[in-house]
Amino acid sequence: MLPDLLQRIPTYLQVLLQGAGITVVITIGALLIAVSVGLTLAVLRTFRLPFVSGFVNVYVEVFRGIPPLTLLFIIYFGLTYIGIRLSPLPAAIIGLGLSGGAYCTEIFRSGISALHHGQREAAAAIGMTPMMAMRYVILPQAFRITLPPLGNYAVGLVKDTAVASAVAAPEILFRARNLTTETFDTALIYVLVACLYFAMTFPIARWVGHLEKKRSSWS
Amino acid sequence: MMNMLADLQSFFAVYPEKWSSWSPDILRAIRTTLWITAGSFLLGLVIGLFLAIARLSKSAMIRNAATVYVEIARGVPALVVLFLIYFGLPPLGIAFDAIPSAILGLGLSSGGYFAEIFRAGIIATHRGQREAGHAVGMTPFQIYRFIIIPQATRIALPPLVNMLITLLKDSSLASLISAPEIMLRAKDISSTDFLPLHILVLAGVIYLAMAVPLSLLARIIERRMFAGLGARL
Repeated sequence: MLPDLLQRIPTYLQVLLQGAGITVVITIGALLIAVSVGLTLAVLRTFRLPFVSGFVNVYVEVFRGIPPLTLLFIIYFGLTYIGIRLSPLPAAIIGLGLSGGAYCTEIFRSGISALHHGQREAAAAIGMTPMMAMRYVILPQAFRITLPPLGNYAVGLVKDTAVASAVAAPEILFRARNLTTETFDTALIYVLVACLYFAMTFPIARWVGHLEKKRSSWS
Repeated sequence: MMNMLADLQSFFAVYPEKWSSWSPDILRAIRTTLWITAGSFLLGLVIGLFLAIARLSKSAMIRNAATVYVEIARGVPALVVLFLIYFGLPPLGIAFDAIPSAILGLGLSSGGYFAEIFRAGIIATHRGQREAGHAVGMTPFQIYRFIIIPQATRIALPPLVNMLITLLKDSSLASLISAPEIMLRAKDISSTDFLPLHILVLAGVIYLAMAVPLSLLARIIERRMFAGLGARL
């Protein structure tokens, strides 16, 4: 029983690890979109233009209130109705990126508002434009504050990529499902899948814990 | 511009037309979604409470076991836990239906987050409170039951409401193990009526209609709590 088990593990892992590559691609792609969207919207909101701030708030509420799976289905299955056909991988990256954008907006917003307003005033006093103040004074500091929550978001994102299997993106869970239909070895395969995800999220979670500890020892 | 308006109008005209044929399935599916959300919330709450207390235990073994549970539960996707329970257990002789599997899986996996929420709440309750309870002769259980947990729950209220929103959204994963909730019905209907965009947008709006009031509630509670703190300080 046991030697047999040990024999099966490497064959399964070989397939699953190929999926892990796709999981990483989806994670990085979605992370880039989410951070760009979040940074843009959070900065836009600081200008306090009524229409723009309203748009940002609606975006955040909508994309935080809709499950990533629903968003993914809207993009992958729904948009075909109006003639937009995306392959699974881009659909997954865009869907997870857009919903992550809402979280990142909140993360950057709290990072920016955590800075003392004297910083902005000082920048204005030495003649910086609001754009320059943002670029050279606010964002570099806000970014450091937002690193731990961004890390937590990245952990959540790695886990959320599993829903991409539902639109047939060939990531870990999708490969696992294919494996189980061939072998019926469901228990072992899904345990291996769980281990693989854990191996990816745990280092990030550890890094976040390390950052937070460092921060609390400063204050 | 006129063209786009006309397109939008014809897009939304489908809803009143189709509502009578969709509504029985959709309404039943909403009920299932609510069941899964409520069930997994309660299960996660109980697991999280025990884990949080276990992590503050004097015994290193209990503490470490709880920490390992929390780390694993937070590091593995809920969907994988659902698959493990629904597809992985039957060959070992343990079989659950889709809805109980979903409740169990989401509850087990959210338990790790609940544990962190409660732990933060317990730590935030001042140590003197525990000592005072001890001084008047309360047992550790009584101290938790009457002093720590009531206060920790109040502190933990806003993150608990957020957790409810997360579970509401995560209940959509149950469609992938064929629990007849909103997303499964939406997919069924989209494959019979060929109106994927309509039904999926409707599904999104239904989730929003449930999530937005909850997130407003979380914000109101938070504001009230800070206001209370401000008055006391």
